[in-house]
Amino acid sequence: MSDEPTETADAAEDTGTVVERAERQLPSWERVRESELFVVAATTVAVALFPWLFARAPVVSGVLQGYQDLATLILIWGIFAMGFNLLLGYTGLLSFGHAAFWGGAAYAAGVFSANVSSSPILVILAGTAFAALSAWVLGFVSLRRGGIYFAILTLAFGQMAYYMALSPLAGITGGENGFTGVELGKLFGVFELRYPVPGLDWLVGTWKYVLVGGIAVLCVAAANRILHSPYGMVFRAIRENEQRAEFVGLNVWRYKLMAFVISGTFAGIAGSLFTIYSAYVPLSSFYWTTSGEVVIMAVLGGVGSLFGPIVGAGVYLYVENIVSGVQQLTLPFTGPAEYLTLVEEPVVILDGFGAYWHLILGLVFVAVVVLFPRGIWGLFEDVGSALRRLGGGR
Amino acid sequence: MSVLAEVVTVALNGLQQGAIYVLVAIGLSIILGTLKFVNFAHGALYLIGTYAGLLITLEINVTDGKLADWGYTPIGLEWGFLPALVIVPSVVFAVGLLMERFVARPFYDRPDTDQILLTFGLAIVVQEVFKILFGGQSYNFARPGWASGQVDLPIVGTFPEWRLYIIGITAAVVVLVYGLIEYTDFGLVVRAGTRDAEMVELLGIKLSRPYLMVFGVGAALAGVAGVVGGPLYAVNPNIGTEILVPSFLVVVIGGVGSITGAVLGGILIGETLAILVAVAPQWSQVGIYVLAAIVLLARPQGLLGVEEVTP
Repeated sequence: MSDEPTETADAAEDTGTVVERAERQLPSWERVRESELFVVAATTVAVALFPWLFARAPVVSGVLQGYQDLATLILIWGIFAMGFNLLLGYTGLLSFGHAAFWGGAAYAAGVFSANVSSSPILVILAGTAFAALSAWVLGFVSLRRGGIYFAILTLAFGQMAYYMALSPLAGITGGENGFTGVELGKLFGVFELRYPVPGLDWLVGTWKYVLVGGIAVLCVAAANRILHSPYGMVFRAIRENEQRAEFVGLNVWRYKLMAFVISGTFAGIAGSLFTIYSAYVPLSSFYWTTSGEVVIMAVLGGVGSLFGPIVGAGVYLYVENIVSGVQQLTLPFTGPAEYLTLVEEPVVILDGFGAYWHLILGLVFVAVVVLFPRGIWGLFEDVGSALRRLGGGR
Repeated sequence: MSVLAEVVTVALNGLQQGAIYVLVAIGLSIILGTLKFVNFAHGALYLIGTYAGLLITLEINVTDGKLADWGYTPIGLEWGFLPALVIVPSVVFAVGLLMERFVARPFYDRPDTDQILLTFGLAIVVQEVFKILFGGQSYNFARPGWASGQVDLPIVGTFPEWRLYIIGITAAVVVLVYGLIEYTDFGLVVRAGTRDAEMVELLGIKLSRPYLMVFGVGAALAGVAGVVGGPLYAVNPNIGTEILVPSFLVVVIGGVGSITGAVLGGILIGETLAILVAVAPQWSQVGIYVLAAIVLLARPQGLLGVEEVTP
């Protein structure tokens, strides 16, 4: 008995050494990469450079000119997909009803802007609050059954939201026509959203992009903080083995509900931003294809990583908006017909290529599910570590 | 029209609505109950059934899509409805067998979210293929000539004959499937597999053949639903996904794996729709989801579902 305290002290010392050793063995680059400050800083730089690289940099060729708005849209859907992935990739719950939160927030933001205040920040807050609240209610009902039932129930209640907006609430939502009365004021009462940023418009374009980009950075920071906190660890524990998490005394149901609410909140932020982006809320934002799209984005980009879904959103929207406009698939790739042709007589591989984009995306999606469960981001990581091995690192 | 006549008419309409859901839901339910495989592509099987039925029953004129590009503007066999009712389920049965072997079987051991994602992706692919082949427009799937008229019923007065046929065909098919599951050795194995697959395997019964058949039968039912339900709605590539969501609700309300549950759930949803269409049309679609929510809050395993044996 008397040596027990000594033992404990030893144990504590041991743990200390283990941690220290582990830290010493970690290459400094990896430690930097893991740190929150680095993640946020890198995201900020990436978000700031993104529209320039995407739409204006001379290297990307004429194909992308004039797609500044697409860059904004990609960030909005990126936030949506990132929040969705907090649920699917980290807690292991597949929701097919996230359109309810995206659409709900979009409508709430629109109605709020028309009736209460047109300040962008308040509009976003109103939409997000509405989404968080409805996520709590829908989560409460849907989480009564786990696994597949959860997917089916979220799908069903998402559709319910669609039909609510379509008909019983048509007086508020505008029914089939969507909500057209969105009013938008100046950001902080000073900056008009559609005006270019003075001096920086070559880089980031309009104030609208600055607003969306700023919120995207905040969202990444928040998601990163959640995932690296003990709370986020519990989410992962639930994904790995729900029963075991239950046995160690965690209230799994509560954590799942919280994960659902958090991801619904992200969807709400994105939905409100979408209202600000388009100044119009289409009824289709409630339809279950919207939920399907975010599922595709997250899986395509890679679930279980912070940035994968954002990449997935980018790829999806790029294909949807640009590749679908390509009439002929030629070798070498020449882009939409009105832009410069690199070769006099390119070889036509497929005529009417644009019409196939959905099919091709579907096939790629199936292939990713079967072959690369970690998506594009997982592929990046694998290639990265392979390169590092080649370079003589670990 | 008297109140009684109106009530009976609404009830019959509900029965007919529910019948289609029952046909789709039974397939979903037995596949989900027995194989533990969630098939989001089940609506795609319905879609295949409808288009195949359309092709067999009449000549359709294709104006856009790949078929038109290739020069096949009028296609169809004009064989009539009864052959379609035999051929289409056989074709979709074969599709179901292929699906079990090459899609479902490799995924039995993967997490159910992967199964959902895979079948969801497949559903998109099938839908897009049909869109490319036939174009996005809607076709009119005519009722068979012998059932296109009105019939005189005692209380109701005139009633569309076709709706009665739908109820009749569905009843016959359900009885057939019920007999198959409840009174044959095959059904015994399937039911046992639904309750506890591991125990059945331990008893020395190989489940792969019954699993194949269950998937085939489930798919064939979706095919029947496609042919029978085809004339009710306009036929376009989206009908598969449109039928999927209410059918899943039927499964969840009735209880997974239970045929009587699927019938009960289908009738409940059909009647709810019909009553609300008559009383408060703008709430008709919302009503079925409210119904599902109420049932689930009261009885999470569904009305006739059994608590699963935890592995």
